[in-house]
Amino acid sequence: MSAAPAATDPVEQQLDVDLVIRSQAGDTRAFDLLVTRYRSRIYAMTYHLVRNDTEAWDLAQEAFIKAWRALPNFKQDAAFYTWLYRIAHNVTCDWLRKKKIQGDGEFDDEHTNHRAMPGSRTMPQGFDTPDRAIKRQELGQRIDQAIARLSVDHRQAVMLREIEGLSYEEMAEVMGCSLGTVMSRLFYARKKLQEMLKDTYENPI
Amino acid sequence: MKTPSEENHDLIRWLDDEMTVGERRAFEANWQSDPELAAEAESMRWLSERIKAHLPAEIPVPHADFFNSQIQARIAQMEVDDARERAETAASTSSRFLWLRLPWLAGAAAAALAIVGLVWTQSGSSGCSTILSTYTPNPSMKAQVIEHVDAVATVLLLEGLDPIPAEKKVVGFHVHHAESDAEVATTTLFDENGAVLAVVALNAQGQPQMLK
Amino acid sequence: MTTTFQRQNIFCKSGLWRRLCLSCVIWHASFCLAQQPTPAVVRQPATDGKVWGALIYATTDADKLTGSAEQMPTTPQDLPARLAKVFAPYTHFEIIGQHLQDVFREYESWVVPSRDLFLKIDSKGPAEDGGMNLHLQVWREQQVVAKADAILRAGSPLFIGGPKWRGGQLLFVLELRKK
Repeated sequence: MSAAPAATDPVEQQLDVDLVIRSQAGDTRAFDLLVTRYRSRIYAMTYHLVRNDTEAWDLAQEAFIKAWRALPNFKQDAAFYTWLYRIAHNVTCDWLRKKKIQGDGEFDDEHTNHRAMPGSRTMPQGFDTPDRAIKRQELGQRIDQAIARLSVDHRQAVMLREIEGLSYEEMAEVMGCSLGTVMSRLFYARKKLQEMLKDTYENPI
Repeated sequence: MKTPSEENHDLIRWLDDEMTVGERRAFEANWQSDPELAAEAESMRWLSERIKAHLPAEIPVPHADFFNSQIQARIAQMEVDDARERAETAASTSSRFLWLRLPWLAGAAAAALAIVGLVWTQSGSSGCSTILSTYTPNPSMKAQVIEHVDAVATVLLLEGLDPIPAEKKVVGFHVHHAESDAEVATTTLFDENGAVLAVVALNAQGQPQMLK
Repeated sequence: MTTTFQRQNIFCKSGLWRRLCLSCVIWHASFCLAQQPTPAVVRQPATDGKVWGALIYATTDADKLTGSAEQMPTTPQDLPARLAKVFAPYTHFEIIGQHLQDVFREYESWVVPSRDLFLKIDSKGPAEDGGMNLHLQVWREQQVVAKADAILRAGSPLFIGGPKWRGGQLLFVLELRKK
């Protein structure tokens, strides 16, 4: 999993490892820098899973609080972000189980459509004609809806790979399962998405 | 010959660029004799690209400053609560162990600790089961790990669990073996005669449901 | 496109899709149950080892034992004595249910000695000294109460202190067995 992006600001250049050590010693300002560094990624993850602004905001915050509590036990045997991500994953999945909204196929048309950050690798390239832009938006909605209908495990697998770009080993670490399970979940998740989005593939935009 | 599961994994590894050059070449060579596989691979690649293009890896947190400041406020509050709890614990511990201040008893306690330490060192922890990390979703629960030398066991104590009502009948199974069907996410439990005891099926929330 | 989407949306909003999926699973499960005790023909996935799990009732009062017919196993050796060392003051230990389970390499494995308290296990591959890396989840009916990453080694069982019941406590024992 990639660490923080390269930055010119000396504060942002501080290594995670140093900030973690300072946080473990009780330096809340160092932890605040870690929060700033990773909040957008953690929030994106919670948002993609719960698909609700307010809940995603609360869950992301809860993940950082749990991380602060657990920091004394963090041995730095994994990257800080991988460790943090796993906490956020646990917090969110448990919340989903409690709320019983996982994979129930309920679509909320009022969900906010987020846009990628400028410069993000996921930003669509080039310029669209209005007609093409509308079609792309429609496809985006279809993808959102299809992902929402996956089980939490399958949704998580797709997100970790396609959005976060994690290796299989990192995914196994975050999801608490074997490499074989990672591959199986990816396969079945993609098969389900393929089935749900079959018509868009057959009539591409 | 590869199992269906291995074939699925090959497709996934090809898609995710997790194959060696040789593996990739061999996999793609199959396409000529297996157009269905070629179409499947192309369809999955198309889908993967669309998902990557659509879903952002980062989303700016709304009211980001408030997000941070609220975390800082909660941490400050937790520190205050923890300090108070520590003070209360210390007060009760010091009164409970007042007798340890007697010189001869303190010596005996130190000797006992040394013996326990010796037993621990001799038994070694390398052959013992180990718990690396724990997590309890319910914030009112705590998980405590103990490596019990005398019992040669690793203990996970779950504190804060609600008791099971005394009138509830807890029924056990004697499961001889189980079979798993990944396609429909079910596990069937059998007794020693091959009769089905129960089927564990995951519901839409990913929770296990016992059928039968 | 729009028409398809609307139809699909209604289909999903009404919960039909979910019900259909669940019906399929339940139909499949019912079919399995109706087939008993016909030997299964499902090809089993690869495994990383075997575990034995038991749900045990611990009490200080012998009169409160449930009368379960389950026998104490020969391994883990001296199980009641070892449990008594950890879970004092309990003196009587009774196996409510037990389960010998293959740990699947690629799929989750369930250890279900009882429908009330059971474990989900995901193998994370072999550990040194013949142990096994596992991700464990302790489930109480439909709630996951704890998760843990652990290395399980033969001869060193894992004891889990569960909820209180009938003046005593329910315990879980998990042991790695040879493959």
